[in-house]
Amino acid sequence: MITRYLTLSVKNLRRRLVRTGLTVAGVGLAVAVAVSLGGFVRGYQGAISKSIEMLGFQVMIMAKGCPYEAATMMLKGGTGLLYLPSDTYDKVKQDPDILSITPIFVGIAQKQASSIRDEGAEKTFTVINGIDVPSFVSMKPWLKFKGGAGYAGSKWFEQTSKSDIVLGYEIAEYEQRKVGDTFYATITPAGKPDPVRHEFKIVGVLERTGTQDDGTVFMAIDAARLAFNRPKQLTILGLKLKQFSAVTMREFENKWLKLPEVQVVSLQQVKTTLISLVGTAQTMIAAVAIIAVIVSLIGVINTILMSVYERTGEIGIMKALGARRGDIFQLVWLETLMICLMGSILGSIGAWVGSGIVEKAIKSITNLGVSGSIVQITPDIVGYAIVGSIALGFFAGLYPAWRAASMRPVDAIREGAA
Amino acid sequence: MNTIIEGRGLKRYYQRGVETVKALDGVDISISGGEMVSILGPSGSGKTTLINLLSCLDAPTEGTLTVAGKSVAGLSEDQLVEVRRGVLGFVFQQFHLLPTLTVTENVELPLTFLGRTPDPKRTKEVLAMVGLSDRAGHLPNELSGGQMQRVAIARALMIEPKILVADEPTGNLDKKAGEAIFQLFKRLAAKGLAIIITTHNQAFGYEADRVITLEDGKIVKEERPAKVPS
Repeated sequence: MITRYLTLSVKNLRRRLVRTGLTVAGVGLAVAVAVSLGGFVRGYQGAISKSIEMLGFQVMIMAKGCPYEAATMMLKGGTGLLYLPSDTYDKVKQDPDILSITPIFVGIAQKQASSIRDEGAEKTFTVINGIDVPSFVSMKPWLKFKGGAGYAGSKWFEQTSKSDIVLGYEIAEYEQRKVGDTFYATITPAGKPDPVRHEFKIVGVLERTGTQDDGTVFMAIDAARLAFNRPKQLTILGLKLKQFSAVTMREFENKWLKLPEVQVVSLQQVKTTLISLVGTAQTMIAAVAIIAVIVSLIGVINTILMSVYERTGEIGIMKALGARRGDIFQLVWLETLMICLMGSILGSIGAWVGSGIVEKAIKSITNLGVSGSIVQITPDIVGYAIVGSIALGFFAGLYPAWRAASMRPVDAIREGAA
Repeated sequence: MNTIIEGRGLKRYYQRGVETVKALDGVDISISGGEMVSILGPSGSGKTTLINLLSCLDAPTEGTLTVAGKSVAGLSEDQLVEVRRGVLGFVFQQFHLLPTLTVTENVELPLTFLGRTPDPKRTKEVLAMVGLSDRAGHLPNELSGGQMQRVAIARALMIEPKILVADEPTGNLDKKAGEAIFQLFKRLAAKGLAIIITTHNQAFGYEADRVITLEDGKIVKEERPAKVPS
């Protein structure tokens, strides 16, 4: 029985192919928007989570200021860096609760048309991380050197080296640099008016990590301090505790907040806060998606109502031939559901195919501070979109179906013949 | 012969603004199985109103009406559907075939609403009865007016009704096609089907067993034309 109704509904939808197609396209567009936005929220939350986890630390100690600004700066780079006295490292590393600790000096250097991609372009900036290789690598065991032609012999620089650097994957790709090449950067030393042009030698290029490390230039911490003329300063202490929990974190925080110039930030806390901020944006995004879906549903209602009015005579005949209200209701309702189902499937496919474009568009508008994919269209998002649009189609179809089912056959046949 | 439709004092009034339109004003009618009855009359005489009542598409304002043994006066639309289902077949002037369905699908359509699975053998039989065996897979827009009306008749016959109601069935057909339709009706009546036809065409109307003439909502003449031996 339902097969017969489906056949009737499909044949009727095919009667006005352009109108049906446009209505399906409207639903598809709305679903594509909803799926893309859902995928963005999911992907962005995942990217934040991954980026923070791949900092490799549980806790950061940094100069007083907004901890979230500091954390996002660690993720995306930026200016306005605050610095700690370098002896903070010596004090904190004595703490018996610490499993491992690494000092990091962050500076912003200026690239000056150092590659063919920058020719004629505005000045661009790059993040330089001065690191202590053994402790840094122990925090990030996933760091690997890139292999292949031009990358053979990659290695970390000596701690005493002044000019050797290691490039992250993306910056090496962008600058088209390989092992043994030269990398030019201009650094303005603290307290000095004139920038100094540096010529660094690339001794290694890292594999892709999907984090901010891909866009970072690494060099020995002392060399970085010297270049930026901050010999007694550092930016961050990244550390792992022997036992990490809310309680041990609180104890650790209380212990080191006694130092007047530092703040202790749990990356778990940062992650939770950033994700909750995204959650707030999610409400706005959901509102946009819902409006798009509602607009498309109004289109569906309009289309089905037009179709019902055009078929007034036919509906009258079907009722005369023995169709009950429920039969007519089902027929019209099925048409609505099919439009919504087709639209949601096409919209989901469109969103999946276009996710790369959406991602590029978002990234071209703003730096979200995370690396890796920020639009993740997962089966559950697609499932929610399809089920959601069918559920909305369920309601959208009620009124046209009720109108059709309520027609008196004698009136419908007369109107249809007129 | 057994009476299949019995109406007494049938009235159907409509309210048009402050005016009461007496579309049908006290009609007594009785129709038996196997009888072919023509209803004649000028436009506005109440032909369609009477046929709508007799076919349970509408309910009388006053009077008693029994169709296939069921009293239908005062029934709601939903209750009237139950009386119509499987008992009444309809043929209309405009054919009203579904343009997206083939001849076979149109003919089988009423079975869908009755919850019956179409029997291809029965479909073939009915199409053969109306002379459309070679048009089974065609769409309505590929048929002539006479062929479309025959599809509508086949659709009405598919459920094996007791009563066939035809409202101006030859109104959109030429003389030859109209004659063929009336010959078909006569053959169906001979098989025991009660047939009620409204028509403007006097010549066709007098092909029936009985001719009822309406004027101003009342029966003004009832005749039994003499049968011409075939």
